[in-house]
Amino acid sequence: MNFLATQAANDLLEQFVASARSAAATAEIVDRSPQAIGDAILATAGDTARILFAPPQVLPAELFTVFAADPRVVTQPDSEQIVHSGVGVTEAFAGVARTGSVCVDVDYQRTGFVSLLTPLHIAVLASEYIVPQPRDVFRRDVLNGEGLTRNFVFITGPSATADMGPLVRGVHGPHRLHVIVVR
Amino acid sequence: MAAKAHAVEILPRQIANKSNKQALLDAIRMTLDVQSAAIRHNTQTFNRNRYAAVAQISDYDQLKDRARQIKEQAIADSPKLLQQLEESVHRNGGHFYLAPTGVDANNYIRDVLVKHEARLVVKGKSITSEETHLNHVLESAGITVAETDLAEFILQVADEQPSHIIAPALHYSRERITALFKRKFETDLPLDTGEELTRFAREKLREQFIAADAGITGANLIAADSGSIMLVESEGNIRMTSTLPPLHIAIAGIEKVIPSRELFGTFLELLPASATGQPITSYVSILHPPITAPSFAAPGKAEKPREFHLVLIDNGRSRMREDPVLREALYCIRCSACLNSCANFETVGGHAFGGQTYSGGIGGPWEAGTGSLMNARFAELCTACSRCVNQCPVRIDIPWLNENLRQRMNQAQPASLMKSAFGALTGSAPEDRTAPLQKQFFGNYHTFGKWGTRTAGLANSSLDWSPAHSMMENVFGVDPRRELPKFPEQTWEDLYREEPANEPAAASRSDRPVLAMFADVFTNFGSPERGMAAIRVLRRCGYEVELTPSLPDGRAALSQGMIDTARQQARTMVERLHPYIEAGRTLVVVEPSVLAMFRLDLRHLIEDRTVVEKLARISFEPLQLVWRAAQQFGLDLRATFPADRWKHGTRLFYHSHCQQRTCNAASETIGVLRACGFDVATSSVECCGMAGSFGYKREYYELSMAVGEDLFAQVRQAEDRHQPRALVASGISCHEQLWAGLKRAVHHPVEILNSIVR
Repeated sequence: MNFLATQAANDLLEQFVASARSAAATAEIVDRSPQAIGDAILATAGDTARILFAPPQVLPAELFTVFAADPRVVTQPDSEQIVHSGVGVTEAFAGVARTGSVCVDVDYQRTGFVSLLTPLHIAVLASEYIVPQPRDVFRRDVLNGEGLTRNFVFITGPSATADMGPLVRGVHGPHRLHVIVVR
Repeated sequence: MAAKAHAVEILPRQIANKSNKQALLDAIRMTLDVQSAAIRHNTQTFNRNRYAAVAQISDYDQLKDRARQIKEQAIADSPKLLQQLEESVHRNGGHFYLAPTGVDANNYIRDVLVKHEARLVVKGKSITSEETHLNHVLESAGITVAETDLAEFILQVADEQPSHIIAPALHYSRERITALFKRKFETDLPLDTGEELTRFAREKLREQFIAADAGITGANLIAADSGSIMLVESEGNIRMTSTLPPLHIAIAGIEKVIPSRELFGTFLELLPASATGQPITSYVSILHPPITAPSFAAPGKAEKPREFHLVLIDNGRSRMREDPVLREALYCIRCSACLNSCANFETVGGHAFGGQTYSGGIGGPWEAGTGSLMNARFAELCTACSRCVNQCPVRIDIPWLNENLRQRMNQAQPASLMKSAFGALTGSAPEDRTAPLQKQFFGNYHTFGKWGTRTAGLANSSLDWSPAHSMMENVFGVDPRRELPKFPEQTWEDLYREEPANEPAAASRSDRPVLAMFADVFTNFGSPERGMAAIRVLRRCGYEVELTPSLPDGRAALSQGMIDTARQQARTMVERLHPYIEAGRTLVVVEPSVLAMFRLDLRHLIEDRTVVEKLARISFEPLQLVWRAAQQFGLDLRATFPADRWKHGTRLFYHSHCQQRTCNAASETIGVLRACGFDVATSSVECCGMAGSFGYKREYYELSMAVGEDLFAQVRQAEDRHQPRALVASGISCHEQLWAGLKRAVHHPVEILNSIVR
């Protein structure tokens, strides 16, 4: 039984990563350790001068201790910092395998702004919160029914438009989305 | 005399109101001249992607049923849901206002903004606010409104109405946007790519987001149980608009309210897939505002508490709810699948095929419901080709709605002795005798067929006779560039009576399935030889075949909005077909538009559900039965109909009829022809553009030919220069259109099979 459950979870994880990539996001799977998560975030953030961090609500804060120790990380940004930073890091409370979407709460502290106003958004998602289809987020028996109570956004790839003729990625929202799935 | 001026430039705003027919004709001319290439590219991209995206939804059909059911129930329960929603919004700490009219909504929003001393408002795309002309009212109050959706931004700069319900500036090519921005912003910045244009607009708008005092959004759906709203977008501007400023106002029509947030799941997958053909868009926000996170205060400004107002507008919707026809339009979730799968829309877009606010097949009912009937005159461009019917995620029968609008417009015309006498003589029902002569002429095709074949020699020579030509043009509005089909001297019924093999099947001999071939009026009076070919082919396939009397089925009248005439005809036809139904016959229909009458449309004309469902179940296109003979009785198609016997070669280009595809009755034709050994290339256009009488009408000839251009181009592309393909089509009007565009013979599949049968 456990084998089948594990198999199903692995399939969802694989499907999630593939879908996220086909939605023009980047995605990677990392081990559940502060070091692995810290390394992954900082490697993606590159040499940006300031990293905004919206502390997690669902994931244990300890998982982010290595990352948060980086001197460039700001957890209580002011308006000036919110609009002039290169990278925003948030958690996602759910992921969707078929579409590669991550669900991010926009009502918890500054999570909404941090996931919206920087050119690069890094979302950290625990693999057990991946559901098969978008509609599953609205089920009472999934994710403790959180999809029915939160103010949140399904984020799928970077912001995009075709209004100026060809498809352009990177409009008002982030130009890049990187998803770190914690296994 | 002064030199003749250049053609006057027609501005989109000037032709938004279509209550004057000239506005519609000018709009068609303008859009064909200026916008058509961009519209084709964009709508056809959406359409292709949509087919791919819905194929990825494993339970697509059930999901559509579910969505339909939810919307039907929600509209039925609307008053109760609105009350519940008001309580939910209050419980969340928001404000709720139900505006009886657009003016009330505008005034309320203006007053809220004035009270907050708002000077700059950022706005997400909201077609409802277009309906109420909100921007105009706010600007008059000294409030700056920044449209932040890039398409709306373009339209605001250009001062144009939307041309599409979800991509309102899709009539603009990149080149035209560059020219517009250079002119209006007087800038030397390089704006020659999508990236450069996007960056330019983003930088302008980013300043506005940061400084905005308030944000106005629409709402794709609203849940009564929790006051939740769903906001679908890709650019991120709606997220900014709904979460940055302290004051958020959402405006939507009352039809957007559904019972619960749990039901969002159904629409969340259907809407983006049906709209842009994406599994989901970049951002879908699910909010029950006001949210509690602190609002964004521009650097140096104080943070303000959040406030939320939900403004729902009625503006005619309650009246639509009481209207048996327009009620169905309230189920619309504004996905635009009906626009993108419509050949006419793909060619002219919403500045021609649209009104002040709404566009496309569903646009007519909306303009009629929220504005006035005559503003919906562009509904004439719905040819009832039916391609949108299977694409609608809430299963709205859009052609039926437009046929009803047409009838109401016909009935709003003044009566005249001439029209009334003509109608009585040719067969219009009394209710339809105010319809223009052109409509009554096309709607009573069978009458002219009857007269024409009785006097074929005279009728045909008179068609070549110039006074007759000018009458066709001036009285009936038939375009002189179209060649009118000649009437045969003998009808299909006549030929059938003379057919030697036509001995009634002896009961003893007949263990073979018996088919009743329906002598539709188009084949009977237009191409009787084709009808005979179908009979011979099916007999060769092992069927007994008998021909029914020729009867008008209602299609021609229905397409002109002469619904009462169509109903009379359909009733008589069903009565006369009764013996065949009783005898357990399978019905064969050569002309696909008539097959569609049996499969799709009789339910609107005949009350008896049992007989309607029965007719839909037992009616087939001839090639479907050829295919069945191969599958079920082991008929060897290659041996019976060897392709290499055909004198025109084995390479074909096949265009199936629009309604034939909607009935899922086209794939067998391709299967049969391939099994016979033909190399078959197929078209992928939604409709050839002829669409029955549409392309014959003088005022629509250019549009019809422009639509056909896509089909003609596909033919050329499928042929290499040295190896042409013979043209094959199943619909009588597709034949005319292919002939008009390519001036080459067009063949019907049954005629090919009949000429090569062994």
